[in-house]
Amino acid sequence: MDFYFFHLMPWPHLPADYDGPAWVKCPNSFYEGEKGQVLYNRYLDELLYAEQLGFDGLVVNEHHANAYGNMPSPNLIGSILARQSKRAKIAIVGNALPLYNPPIRVAEEFAMIDVISGGRLIAGMVVGGGPEYYSNGLNPAEARERFYEAHDLIVQAWTRPGPFEFNGKYFKLRYVNPWPTPVQKPHPPIWIPGAGSLETMEFVAKHRYAYMGIPYFHKRVFQRNFDFFREACAKEGYAADPKQAGWLVPIYVAETDEQARREYEPHLWYFVRKLLPGIDIAPPGYTTARSALKLVGARNDFMRFVETWDQIEDGNYAIVGSATTVRQKMEEMIKSLGVGNILCLLQLGTLPADLTRRSMELFAARVLPALRAAGDSREGAAPTASRGRGSGAGGQ
Amino acid sequence: MFSASIIDVHGTPVELRRAGEGLPLLYLHGGGGDSEWIPLLDRLAEDFTVYHPSHPGFGDSGGLEHISGMEDMVLHYVDVIAAVGLKRVPLRVAGSSFGGWIAAELTHRYPNVVHRLVLVAAAGLHLEEAPIAEMFGVEPAELAQRLFYDQAHPLAVAIRSITDPSLLPEAMLLRQFKAMEALAKVAWNPYFHNPKLERRLDRITAPTLVLWGREDRLIPLAHGQRYAARIPHARLEIVEHCGHMAVLEKPDEIYDAISDFCAEGALA
Repeated sequence: MDFYFFHLMPWPHLPADYDGPAWVKCPNSFYEGEKGQVLYNRYLDELLYAEQLGFDGLVVNEHHANAYGNMPSPNLIGSILARQSKRAKIAIVGNALPLYNPPIRVAEEFAMIDVISGGRLIAGMVVGGGPEYYSNGLNPAEARERFYEAHDLIVQAWTRPGPFEFNGKYFKLRYVNPWPTPVQKPHPPIWIPGAGSLETMEFVAKHRYAYMGIPYFHKRVFQRNFDFFREACAKEGYAADPKQAGWLVPIYVAETDEQARREYEPHLWYFVRKLLPGIDIAPPGYTTARSALKLVGARNDFMRFVETWDQIEDGNYAIVGSATTVRQKMEEMIKSLGVGNILCLLQLGTLPADLTRRSMELFAARVLPALRAAGDSREGAAPTASRGRGSGAGGQ
Repeated sequence: MFSASIIDVHGTPVELRRAGEGLPLLYLHGGGGDSEWIPLLDRLAEDFTVYHPSHPGFGDSGGLEHISGMEDMVLHYVDVIAAVGLKRVPLRVAGSSFGGWIAAELTHRYPNVVHRLVLVAAAGLHLEEAPIAEMFGVEPAELAQRLFYDQAHPLAVAIRSITDPSLLPEAMLLRQFKAMEALAKVAWNPYFHNPKLERRLDRITAPTLVLWGREDRLIPLAHGQRYAARIPHARLEIVEHCGHMAVLEKPDEIYDAISDFCAEGALA
């Protein structure tokens, strides 16, 4: 079982009286570079601190024109982590492939990060969120086709000796021959995040990549999605490995349940009420009609529409409490979902640096080791010695 | 009443509704609302043979996989016209909104195919000072506002009442998703226009009637004025107290205007 520290790098300074969307049309006059400088550096510190605390990997992702996550280029952040971290995997989940034209750029930048980090990159590939198609002018009705074709180009660029010609419907390159190529052979592990689109899960199953369930849904939505994913793997003729399934979840740990809720709740509501509005805008043709229908059905299990703390607890939208409570709840979910990668979102919304750090420390000391031991014994794997604080210098 | 059938066009199934007798009138529907048969078409069928095909991706029409832009759409309609046997007859073409844009593109490329042209609140142009409003991903209440002058119109009321899409019938949602995808394929970017269209409008030789609701809040009246100014033999008629969905809001006025105009030159 592997534990990843996920950071969205949110903007915590939206005006109190602003009630518009955080996406596409959220006025960028709210952005202030001076505050941004403090934030980027604080968030990078948190990522690097997670490595010190014993997390197996650091995770960042790509979003545009929004207050929810200020990483239009996760590869820039990933390259800083490649240089400044020593041991942890660097999971960039991912690059929104249709937004890169030609997408050979992704093959190049990912290869650079893999080389600089000594083979620690996890290459995430994603169709891109619905809002991104509004912000970037790309035709959502072509999103899937472009994604699949870009994926083919990138994987070929990493695995076929260049130069060769790639003649796709959207991308035509007479000479594919990227320098550098990745350290990891045949190529870095590929993770695909998804919010439940059926065709995405089938694609991941077919290629034996890892599927990462996007959070902010009721636990029953996760259950349904991971069950579907395992079925999709079975249809491909193999049993899914837990390492092929990642669960991304907001977590907060304090000394007691009561204290945890008191400290965390206002920051969670900022996230739900200020940063989620607009994330769910679904442009036409962006998913197949059958998946769009499924997503409409999950609408009432979406965190944006949650109103009470009881609903948060009941749906495990976030796992909040003492170390004991968090451990129990997560253990239950991990067993039930059958996931082998846990992506811990330990900073969220307006959660300040001091509370973030304390929660990270409590999680790393009192939750993570027990979950890891339970998970590894379930998976039948011997606990590996190379994990944990300060151990292993790999990659430099 | 109309009759409906699926015809084969160049290997693609096309849903075609047809009613009436007389001179042929091809009606090209917009992004929604008039993609089904509407009362206006019953009126027109009193005077003409009305043909109402569903665009690729709409209703029971296939072929969306071959459409990635307006060029494909125009060629599709060249094939439809040939398949229905309207190639060598004095064809009237009327289009509303998205369908008006297709009609304009078809007519300037194939001026000999279209005998008379009617554009109702047509998309297709870009005016810096009067942009086409957003219609993708807009809240239902806002969309109703943009489409109708009369907010009490049954369709405006129906659109506004959609607060939770998961409560709608599945078949209806599926058709709607598919139709929006079809629209996006042609109209997402550039948004409901072709930057080259305006310069090409003087290639249209057919007499043209441009009809516009004065209160159109989706495609402002300025677009109608521009169409009328650029098409050589065009006349603009403005419909008062009328929004973008003129074909639904003012069917009698639209019928009178189209009928008079399309009957002119009947023997020509």
